Amino acid sequence: MSASKCLRCLVRPSPTTLPVSVPQHVPKNIAPFSTTGAKAGQNPKPAPSVPKNPNALQPYRSGKKMTLSKFKKNKVIDRGKAPLPGERKAWRKRISLSNDNALPVPWLTQMRPGDMADSGNVAKVFSLPAGLQDQLRACEAFKPTQSWNMFRTPSVLVRNETVDVMGRMQQAAGENKTARLVLTGDKFTGKSLMLLQAMAHAYLNEWIVIHVPDAQELTTASTEYAPIPGTDPVQYMQPNYVLKLIQNFRKANEAVLSKTYTATAHPELPQNITVNTPLLNLCQTAKEPEGAWVVFRALWNELMAKNVPRPPILFTLDGLAHIMKMSDYRSPSFELIHSHDLAFVRHFTELLAGNTSFPGGGAVIAATSRSNAPRVPSMELVLAQREAEQAPRGAAEVPQPDPFFRGYDKRVESVLRSVDVVRVNGASKPEARSLMEYWAASGLLRDTVDEKLVTEKWALGGNGVLGEMERAALMTMRI
Amino acid sequence: MASPANLLRLCLRAPSRRLPTARAAVAAQKTVFLRPLSTTPVRWAEEEEERREDDDPSNQVFADPGEFLRSFLRDESITQEERQLAQSMLGDWSKVPKDTQKSLQNLVAEINNEAAPLRRVRVPKKDSFWNEDNADTDLITDENGEDDFEEDDMLAMGHAKLEEHREFREYARIAVWEMPLLSKLAKPFQPPVGDEVLRFRYTTYMGEFHPADRKVVVEFSPNDLADLTEAQRLKLMKLAGPRYNPEKGIIKMSCERFEHQAQNKRYLGDLIAKMIAAAKDPTDMFEDIPLDTRHHKFKTVIKFPKEWYLTEERRQQLEAQRKQAYLLDEQKRQSGTLVNGVEAIQEGLRARVNRIGEPVPVRRPLAPPRPPLRR
Repeated sequence: MSASKCLRCLVRPSPTTLPVSVPQHVPKNIAPFSTTGAKAGQNPKPAPSVPKNPNALQPYRSGKKMTLSKFKKNKVIDRGKAPLPGERKAWRKRISLSNDNALPVPWLTQMRPGDMADSGNVAKVFSLPAGLQDQLRACEAFKPTQSWNMFRTPSVLVRNETVDVMGRMQQAAGENKTARLVLTGDKFTGKSLMLLQAMAHAYLNEWIVIHVPDAQELTTASTEYAPIPGTDPVQYMQPNYVLKLIQNFRKANEAVLSKTYTATAHPELPQNITVNTPLLNLCQTAKEPEGAWVVFRALWNELMAKNVPRPPILFTLDGLAHIMKMSDYRSPSFELIHSHDLAFVRHFTELLAGNTSFPGGGAVIAATSRSNAPRVPSMELVLAQREAEQAPRGAAEVPQPDPFFRGYDKRVESVLRSVDVVRVNGASKPEARSLMEYWAASGLLRDTVDEKLVTEKWALGGNGVLGEMERAALMTMRI
Repeated sequence: MASPANLLRLCLRAPSRRLPTARAAVAAQKTVFLRPLSTTPVRWAEEEEERREDDDPSNQVFADPGEFLRSFLRDESITQEERQLAQSMLGDWSKVPKDTQKSLQNLVAEINNEAAPLRRVRVPKKDSFWNEDNADTDLITDENGEDDFEEDDMLAMGHAKLEEHREFREYARIAVWEMPLLSKLAKPFQPPVGDEVLRFRYTTYMGEFHPADRKVVVEFSPNDLADLTEAQRLKLMKLAGPRYNPEKGIIKMSCERFEHQAQNKRYLGDLIAKMIAAAKDPTDMFEDIPLDTRHHKFKTVIKFPKEWYLTEERRQQLEAQRKQAYLLDEQKRQSGTLVNGVEAIQEGLRARVNRIGEPVPVRRPLAPPRPPLRR
């Protein structure tokens, strides 16, 4: 992405060369995309052969050269300072949310709390307010693979699915229930972005949001773990991950946490937390990985405390397949640990299964991934079954498990047995048009956004798969 | 080949055209009757030969006529007249002078000695390579000039062509004379009725022997068996295992275990009867075992969707959509809300230039006047 951006910088018209650099568009009767090779205008004539002057000096002599000195001198090539450890990764994972060279879009409005749940706002683009941006950034809702760095302000498109998901969240919060959703869909359709929208909606409506940006960090044995004493069967804590999560959580939910108070005292914590202390103070006690798990448990108990006013809570996770398989961790007897035996993951799966629920209502939303996802046959099957069951009666046949396949996992099935599956499809044409107008107004799509162009890109993007449309329209260098 | 000299030569030779002579007589083969099964070891042919020579009186060599007559008289199968004649001749022989008899005996001995090497059994020399020093007595011909074409016959290709013609004509005769008779044997096709659920397939190689001609294949569908319940049919499918085709719903079995087609068919029939009996047996209905279809690969035939055909109706629909799209664009264009990326960039750049404003040249302040060097 950075490469395309740099190249784009190279060909950006400068004010001085403006009349020259603005291209004269070719007449529009050319097929917009075709499998036939383009024909050049004229056959280029072969250059007139110039008789070679044998005495002319050769500019460069290839081949073997005589070494004049006896030993080769060691050339000292100055390659500059090598990047420090972790610097490359930080560069790769950096998230820039604005591009000063992009044009501001005149009709863009800032998102208000009720905007995304309103079906009248379908196919409209809203920009995220600055405070919300900070919150989302703090909980790592933005991903480096999303093209935020192209536009002046981060903005999102409200889609039918968005309104659907937000409506379910609102309804659950209104009824003090927990909505349990799984977002699935093809690659590049915007499942992670739908999560981001859900989070944005929650933040704007003063929910508490817990977000696991990438579930694989929990189960690929990349963070430390330890058995929790006194659990049977043994569960495992991941103190380092939890510490990072609490810190992000505190940063992102500062405003709400300062207004939410503890229901019980927590003498087990390093700092004595009494009743009616803001949860923010509780979060601030997590400073070292050693005590992080205790703090997390205290925080979780506080969030789940009944009979005290609690705001609705949104718990989201991206990359569901990673927590639906055997993890890469090993037990002391060197057996693989099931992901659901990791205590933090278990909190999520219990919520998703409906065994526990948030006291003030809320939602648990998991998004599947198509790009980095291990195959979990049970999950695939149950999600397909749930989808077929939710379809209008008789519309789809409920897939049956293969009786002779042994790779199914009962625990996974029990977790996903009753979730609601939301399929994120490609965008509709009005949505696609609205988005492309936003691109064009930002100065990133050098074309007139009419129905023809929209249809073309919509078709090229596999019936409106937004990521593919982005590839077809934004990431190409056709100027 | 067609040179005049050659032609002349052939003309001159024409009177001498005759049927190709047999170059050598074929040695009469002795027929040996061997027992099909025997525990006695096979004896060498040479021993057999010697024994026969000894037995056969005609092959016996006698030293003189007297000896011959005596041995003749020993034979009891001769008639009385012959015996008398032989006795009188023996009497005559005894009257012959002794030295004449002696010389005759010497002559016989001498001839025997001379002929001995011819009678000797030829033993191949030990050191010879493939016995090539000895002339091959088994050859029918002498191998000299064998492959030379004597120009008294057609070439081999001509013979082949003739043979081909003969074959054509043979089949043409069959087609004309014998095939029409087959129609008398033809039976009209009767489609199988409801209770004929088995379909057998046989293989024939038109009378030739073939290891596969005994094979019999049977196909039947469990759903055609009217006296089975649904559960029993399912059990029958499970019993059939990989012989059940879930896509067609057909069980297919074959047998080539026995020597004759009829035996194989009988076996298959019995087997199906056994399977049906087992399927009807209610003791274990295999309810805990799902129907296994892992052996079968389901083929999905992808067809062009009916909705995708460009019918007249669909064409009109598309036209209407395009017209609507065009109208929408026009409407937007007139109201000025149609977004053009290039214009947006130009406007943005213009706005930026205006915001920055015209560059103002910076003037260097004038240097203060120098004080005079000298007063």
